[in-house]
Amino acid sequence: MAPRRELAETNPITALGVIAPPPIHIDSPKFEGSLATLFRCVKDHKVQLLDVPLAPVCEAYFAYLINATLDDLDEAAAALTVLAYLLERKAWALLPSLEPEPETEEPMELPASSAHEYGVAIEALKMWQEERSQNFFRSPDSGPEIYELPYSLGDVKPDDLARAFSRLLAKATLHPEANTAKARRSISQQMLVVLKAINTTWRSLEDLIDQPFTREDAVYFFLALLELVRLGQVGIRMEEESVQFARAKGVTK
Amino acid sequence: MNVLDGLEALLFVADAPTTIEALAVALGLTEGQVAQGLEVLEARLEDKGSLKLIKIAGGYQFCTKPEFAEVVAKFLKPQGHKLGRGLMEVLAIVAYRQPVTIADVDQIRGVQSDYSLRALVERRLLHEVGRKQTPGRPVLYGTTQQFLHQFKLNDLADLPKLDVEGLALSPPNLFDVGL
Repeated sequence: MAPRRELAETNPITALGVIAPPPIHIDSPKFEGSLATLFRCVKDHKVQLLDVPLAPVCEAYFAYLINATLDDLDEAAAALTVLAYLLERKAWALLPSLEPEPETEEPMELPASSAHEYGVAIEALKMWQEERSQNFFRSPDSGPEIYELPYSLGDVKPDDLARAFSRLLAKATLHPEANTAKARRSISQQMLVVLKAINTTWRSLEDLIDQPFTREDAVYFFLALLELVRLGQVGIRMEEESVQFARAKGVTK
Repeated sequence: MNVLDGLEALLFVADAPTTIEALAVALGLTEGQVAQGLEVLEARLEDKGSLKLIKIAGGYQFCTKPEFAEVVAKFLKPQGHKLGRGLMEVLAIVAYRQPVTIADVDQIRGVQSDYSLRALVERRLLHEVGRKQTPGRPVLYGTTQQFLHQFKLNDLADLPKLDVEGLALSPPNLFDVGL
């Protein structure tokens, strides 16, 4: 998006009620118009703010501050207020939405009776949701509640795994010896590494990981190993005091 | 091959609602024969066993009977993620008014609903069905198959009738909104 302040029309709309922000023009794939219009559209939910990049808008504002004579401080303040509002709204929209619904989402003042008229439907949905939770289907992601088929850790307890991991961390080098700027691996990439290291012979964590290794390597390796155990790709057992791992298919007893 | 056994086998391996059409094609039968077979199978399962056959989200699927819910839940340990009042309200409004924009929902509720809508999209209960041909081209939302499944509905017509002028119960007609 290229801010084209020189093309912006002088917008008479007083977006903040009294003072109109300066005529900063915004030209993005999803919105084209003045800063004041963007403000009004966002406020009225007519524009998806997530689709409108705000960095160029801020740049245009800085350009305005540098170039303008700033005779009208109220106008500059209005622009700043508009920008702050847009940034706050966008930051809010970018927040992860797995959090519980915030209190502010609850209707503070229900208009007329329109929302109340859905009361019958809401009660029916709640009842069906309760009924539905009493039925389980083959597919775990059919909802409404997330579950997964249980997997067996045999005689291995979580404490045993924690001790094994603790021993591994104790043997890690304190500082990376090689290239510190190496690309960070994802857990799925690390799972491939672990699968290559692991075979049908039962081995402990220390025997599986490539030496030397850093604490970060140990954490990645252990997390990938746990995920493979969860997926049934890797078998796990206790041998004396040591937790051992091997490929789940065709493991030697 | 016995028709009932064939139906049972297909429904057992399916992990989503299966339509009569798909079952008819797989078994080489007419849709009428399959529908009749499903009725008999449903009645047979009603009397014995732990499974039942239900019509859900436009198809048929096996599920466990409610009397086994406790033991199955103990085994699967489902995480409680039921919808709260606010999310349920937004869901109901979208279900009846679809396709709708966030602004439409806000207007009905009197509060901002963008957070709730996004949460429902992430739960795959709502999805984008297009964009309204008005300034800003706001996103239009509608309900998904997952919505029907999670509320044990066969289709949107199963929703209770509301005495509100102008409410539409039919699924979104994308041509009406210029998509």
